[in-house]
Amino acid sequence: MHISDGYLDLSICAIMYGLTGIFWIFAFRKTRNILNERQVPLMATLTAMFFAAQMMNYPVIGGTTAHLLGGPILAFTLGPYLGLISMTIILLIQALLFGDGGITTFGANVWNMGAVGVFIPYIVYVLAFRTTRSRSWILFGVFLGALIGDVLAAVFAGIELGLSTLTFPYSVPIAVAAMAIHHFVMGIGEGVVTVIIVSTLWKTRPDLLGLPKVAPRWMGDWQSLLKLQEDIRNERM
Amino acid sequence: MSECRKLLIIGVTISIVFVVVGSVWLSLSSETLEEIARSFGASESYVWPPPVPNYEIPGLEGNVVASITVGLVSTLIILGITYFVGRSLRSQKDSLKE
Repeated sequence: MHISDGYLDLSICAIMYGLTGIFWIFAFRKTRNILNERQVPLMATLTAMFFAAQMMNYPVIGGTTAHLLGGPILAFTLGPYLGLISMTIILLIQALLFGDGGITTFGANVWNMGAVGVFIPYIVYVLAFRTTRSRSWILFGVFLGALIGDVLAAVFAGIELGLSTLTFPYSVPIAVAAMAIHHFVMGIGEGVVTVIIVSTLWKTRPDLLGLPKVAPRWMGDWQSLLKLQEDIRNERM
Repeated sequence: MSECRKLLIIGVTISIVFVVVGSVWLSLSSETLEEIARSFGASESYVWPPPVPNYEIPGLEGNVVASITVGLVSTLIILGITYFVGRSLRSQKDSLKE
């Protein structure tokens, strides 16, 4: 889903840098207040792991390949703001060292995979916790969050491409449809892997899911969510 | 062994597996977005020439050992940068408290 230099109009690039910049400011400011000693190595480890995971390309449809994005797991373990910072580091190194993504399109890529790809799964995860106490339904929420996050990130990429009329001679609906259909299949893969990782962590290392989450206040009090998570886990044991 | 060191060792081990599998068996990359963009007539143009384009050292394209080395070194670079960023944010928190 990495958009290379040359695919987007410079005006679109500037707008996406502006939008992402707002998230960066909030992420760095909020993270400073809550980051604890255990989250630093976890953040470094997960960032390195998902950078490595993005090197594995598996075939999907039409002769194309896909790879895990990792946004949902980063969101569930670190919280969306720290997840955004992790994804920013991955995308920056990919763009600077490997030409995977671009410099002018860096803001757009972080918006798609870092903001949308991390915040949307987290919102769906929180909603799942708030609406049900069933472990199966919460895991379905995890799956749905990863799927919607991937598809919406692709939809945003399609909108950015479609609006780049100087470089991309097709309308927004065509670009969005093309991106969304392909990434729906990838989203299912991301969802399945995310559910496997979350359910494994829930059973073996629930403390890693239970670390303080760096999230906007309107998303809710993470401590009550953690208590819910612990209660549901205990009921099952 | 400290919790931090254990976490780092597990993470690095899993990353090594990902890099090896990604370099040896799942290295072929044909991203949907690139295919769609190309089919619509858009073409990429580097603003910044990357030193290791497409994860391959110039002159050693297709060399699996070189690809694995690039993957491992870059994974360690990411690990180091993220740890540094995390520590910096932590120290800012501590200085804010004071």
